[in-house]
Amino acid sequence: MTARLATGFAMASSVGTCMPEASVAYQDHSNLTGNGLLGDYPVAASGYDEMFAAPGLLRPHWGDMARALEEIGGVELERRHSEIQRLLQADGVTYNTYDDPRGSLRHWLVDPIPLLMTGEEWAALATGLEQRSRLLNALLADLYDRRLAIRQSWLPPELIYAHPGFLPSCHQSLPAGCRWLTFHGVDLARGPDGAFRIHGDRTQSPSGAGYTLENRVILARALPMLYRDAPLRRLASFLETERATLAGMARHNPDSPHVVLLTPGPNSPVYFEHAYLANYLSLSLVEGEDLVVRDGRVWLKTLGGLRPVDVILRRVSDVFCDPLELRGDSLLGIPGLLQAVRGGHVALANALGSSLIENPGLAAFLPLLCRQLLGEDLRLPSLATWWCGDPAERSHVLANLGRLVVRSILSDGPCWDGSQLDAAARAHLIERIRANPYQFVGQESLPLSTAPVLEEGRLAPRPVILRGFVVADGDGYRVMPGGLARVSSGLDTLQASLQNGGISKDWWVLAPTPQRHVSLLRQSYGPIVVTRDGNDLPSRVADDLYWLGRYLERLDSTARLLREAFGRLLEWEQDNTDERCLDDLLDALEVPVPPVAESPRARFFSLRQELLDLMITDSEHPSSMQALFDGLLRTGRAVRNHLGDDSWRLLNRLQQSIQEPPKGLGARQARELLEEDLMLMAAFSGLSNETMPHHHGWLFFDIGRHLERVLHTLELFKLAFITARNPGLPLWEVVLTLTDNLTAYRRRYRSALHPTAIIDLLLFDEGNPRSVGYQLRRLQRNIGRLHRSVSSTYRNAEERLILEAFTTLQLADIEALATISHDSTRSSTELTRLLDAVHTPLLGLSDALTHSHFSHAEVPRQLITMQP
Amino acid sequence: MKYTITHRTLYHYSGGVALCHNQARLLPREASWQRCRPSRITIQPRPALSAERQDFFGNRVLYFAIQDIHQRLEVTLVTEVQVLDARPFGQSSPSPAWEQACKMLREDPDPEIIEARLFALDSPFVTLQPIFREYAEPSFPPGRPLLDAVANLNQRINQDFTYDPHFTTTATPLDEVLSERRGVCQDFAHLGIACLRALGLAARYVSGYLETLPPPGQPRLVGADASHAWLAVYIPGAGWAEFDPTNNCMPGERHITLAWGRDYGDVAPLTGVMTGGGSHSLEVSVDVEPHVEAA
Repeated sequence: MTARLATGFAMASSVGTCMPEASVAYQDHSNLTGNGLLGDYPVAASGYDEMFAAPGLLRPHWGDMARALEEIGGVELERRHSEIQRLLQADGVTYNTYDDPRGSLRHWLVDPIPLLMTGEEWAALATGLEQRSRLLNALLADLYDRRLAIRQSWLPPELIYAHPGFLPSCHQSLPAGCRWLTFHGVDLARGPDGAFRIHGDRTQSPSGAGYTLENRVILARALPMLYRDAPLRRLASFLETERATLAGMARHNPDSPHVVLLTPGPNSPVYFEHAYLANYLSLSLVEGEDLVVRDGRVWLKTLGGLRPVDVILRRVSDVFCDPLELRGDSLLGIPGLLQAVRGGHVALANALGSSLIENPGLAAFLPLLCRQLLGEDLRLPSLATWWCGDPAERSHVLANLGRLVVRSILSDGPCWDGSQLDAAARAHLIERIRANPYQFVGQESLPLSTAPVLEEGRLAPRPVILRGFVVADGDGYRVMPGGLARVSSGLDTLQASLQNGGISKDWWVLAPTPQRHVSLLRQSYGPIVVTRDGNDLPSRVADDLYWLGRYLERLDSTARLLREAFGRLLEWEQDNTDERCLDDLLDALEVPVPPVAESPRARFFSLRQELLDLMITDSEHPSSMQALFDGLLRTGRAVRNHLGDDSWRLLNRLQQSIQEPPKGLGARQARELLEEDLMLMAAFSGLSNETMPHHHGWLFFDIGRHLERVLHTLELFKLAFITARNPGLPLWEVVLTLTDNLTAYRRRYRSALHPTAIIDLLLFDEGNPRSVGYQLRRLQRNIGRLHRSVSSTYRNAEERLILEAFTTLQLADIEALATISHDSTRSSTELTRLLDAVHTPLLGLSDALTHSHFSHAEVPRQLITMQP
Repeated sequence: MKYTITHRTLYHYSGGVALCHNQARLLPREASWQRCRPSRITIQPRPALSAERQDFFGNRVLYFAIQDIHQRLEVTLVTEVQVLDARPFGQSSPSPAWEQACKMLREDPDPEIIEARLFALDSPFVTLQPIFREYAEPSFPPGRPLLDAVANLNQRINQDFTYDPHFTTTATPLDEVLSERRGVCQDFAHLGIACLRALGLAARYVSGYLETLPPPGQPRLVGADASHAWLAVYIPGAGWAEFDPTNNCMPGERHITLAWGRDYGDVAPLTGVMTGGGSHSLEVSVDVEPHVEAA
């Protein structure tokens, strides 16, 4: 057992232990006062603080930073801090929590004070991390092939075979010369002795690199005085390596590799990062159902047909990647993927099966494995770890439970702080360990080093844990100069700490000289294939963009109806105007009209309640604002990287306004809030028009919006002229207002409302962007443009339908409708017939579009139920 | 004995299947007591792609993908196998005391023994529970030779349990099999494995065929046979001894081995994932035809 303990203190001296740095007495800096931002920074007596060697004694590499922070001052720092949070929120940097039924997002919190590390210390750390990645890659290669580590007893077999990450199907699945580990995330922290220890390895979905970048970008924006010309190592070249490595994995298509990022989808907690990285690295962001295996290759289903995929940056757990060979009860994956890997036609980063080495129980065996597999001594120690599968180690863990942390060997599995357990919990845990010893490890409980965190205008020392990132580079590995620091006791995982709203920090590695700020927007790399038609848009994305358009428009019309209803309600309350058209508005909103009330006041309150419910509380009603916004947000998030940053900020503001309205709204405030929402929606669609290239993605978005709008306008028309409870002038006026046409009408006709003029303006006037005629013309043009570049066997169905609707309208006899008035039954029949004839083909249009373009809907399933 | 085995699987789908990926573990593996002639596997419609490999356990796996729309999938395997009377262990083979076997399995650094420890752990269809140990214990008094003890367990399962093809499916949990005392060969093999693993022994699942003998005086019925399953226990340092709880015997010349693994999940004869197809129906027929020896 002692041999395995060597992972702990005994080896700690290899890296950065208590650097013999000459600390500077903090008071020596002339212009700093003892009672400023840092004056009474409480350095703990026993621990290691990143900034202060002892009370009042600043570590030298913090000198410039301390001075700069004092100059900015606590008040200003707090102000900048709020600015940072605002920027993050506006950029939609979120962490999504699974258990939230509304799918609402947790905002990412960042501390404005960077964590500094000297270049020398980092260099030693990087050498250790690079070695660790090489070691784990070699271990995976051995465990999925010859298994020398097991057969030679370097590792107990149960440690590997009892871990759910060991996937027999992955045995010998990689063609010769391929790497098992391309990306590696490492959690590490400094102990009280100042030495670094590894706390855990991430190989499945080493999250955090995207958040690290975003932290850097936002902090540099909010604190230019700290970041401009700062002597810190920049991150851009690491990402360049990441991109080049991925591209280099396309063995059969080195010239124009197609690399995709496979995400579990918008419900994944770290979906923000997936979208962010996909954008940054110019990868297609895809979900399992977007991919298919045919002819032994992986293909992306796009509007233009199947497009081959060469490399997959995988952010989906390996067991969920192939229902044929991995977990049969999962249909998230891509059937046949593992076979395509065996054939060498697609490369995955990381390879399937790599979750095996996230097992914390491996820590105790790494020194021996490193000597055996690499012929080197392990440079970076792990946290001292005892695997309970070994009887002697188990006894040690059980005997020292009060001083240890117990962890499940599963990634993100549960964790217990032994010192915090009461007698019952302790007994229960012991029972669990005894029943399933292979599944647990004990780890030394080590206080982490502290770093300054801004709290209420002062700096306070808080424990921090770091996540470093490593990427394969040629035959070796390259370490990111910096990474994600977060405030943590070290017990929780990154996942858990994000879920609990943990705070992150920017980790700086200092350079000897100021480094020029390099834009994180990279230059193009290698030959670029210029495509403009957007044929390679994944079918699912087209589907989501179409529905984004529809939800946006539906939300817009509902908000307009509500705004109008609140307006009429207020006018009636104040001026006693005619309120009967309110009943028709409720009909249009699909809300039951309240029974006749005993007093006008009672009627006012019951109407107001109905409207507020639909606007705020009711989320079950399919046309409630909440339900529609949920749909908008869901589809919006699924196409996150097709929307511009500004569009995304607008969507975030709309979310706040709709999902978190002020409490106790009255009719007037509700109307004002709706006004605001409508402005945001108008800005969103305007920006989308201005910024999205008008290719396929935009076409689907636009078709969605205008189809929804024409359907809604036709329904309003029917309501006003055919089915109204209280037909007549007030209702016509409402219809004109709802369609934003009242001013246009007044300007053109300068007269009182006349039905024929309204019909002409709203139905036939193709120059009026709110008219039915205009929508149909636009739909016809856009559907035509889709077909010119997309070959499809159903190509004529939509074109036929839109042509039918448009022609019907154009051939309508305006004269026959001209005599319309609410008491003329004949022309009302005429109008009904016309509206129906336009409406019916449009209803079929949505299905036709789905059939032609989104017909990926069918998901694969098992031939035989295989799961126990 | 020499056999010609014909294993035919037929799927009918109510709708068209646009794409399917499949894995077949239908090709028998070589063993010291088993010689395999080249097999012929016919797949209708013709697969766009097929590839054979060896899996982690050394079984032969055939991957195939069908990319044309089809409503019917037929997989027919015809293979000739010779089974020798040469299995390494029989009723009277000597073996160490069962506790000694457990100890060797835990402690012996021989690579073969270390590798066998995989088969002492939980697997997807066999999760260890105290009830299995309790059921096994009467067969394992202190000091009893391993093979004696397993033979006794094998016999008890055979006696205590009713063969009932209508009771279980592949999804029936093992504790239900134990409490209801009924199941099919697959359940009995899993149960035996669970009992042995619960005691700290290594046991694996074997899939294959059994030549069925017609009742005296009646002709052999073609296609009436079925896939069969049994188990093997590991004697550290010596090898694997097979037991067939369904028939209360140790497999001999009439047991044809197809594949082995931790449990059924590792050796399912045909698995697949398809797109489309609606509901489906399945027909399986197996024919184990002995070659008549020239008199």
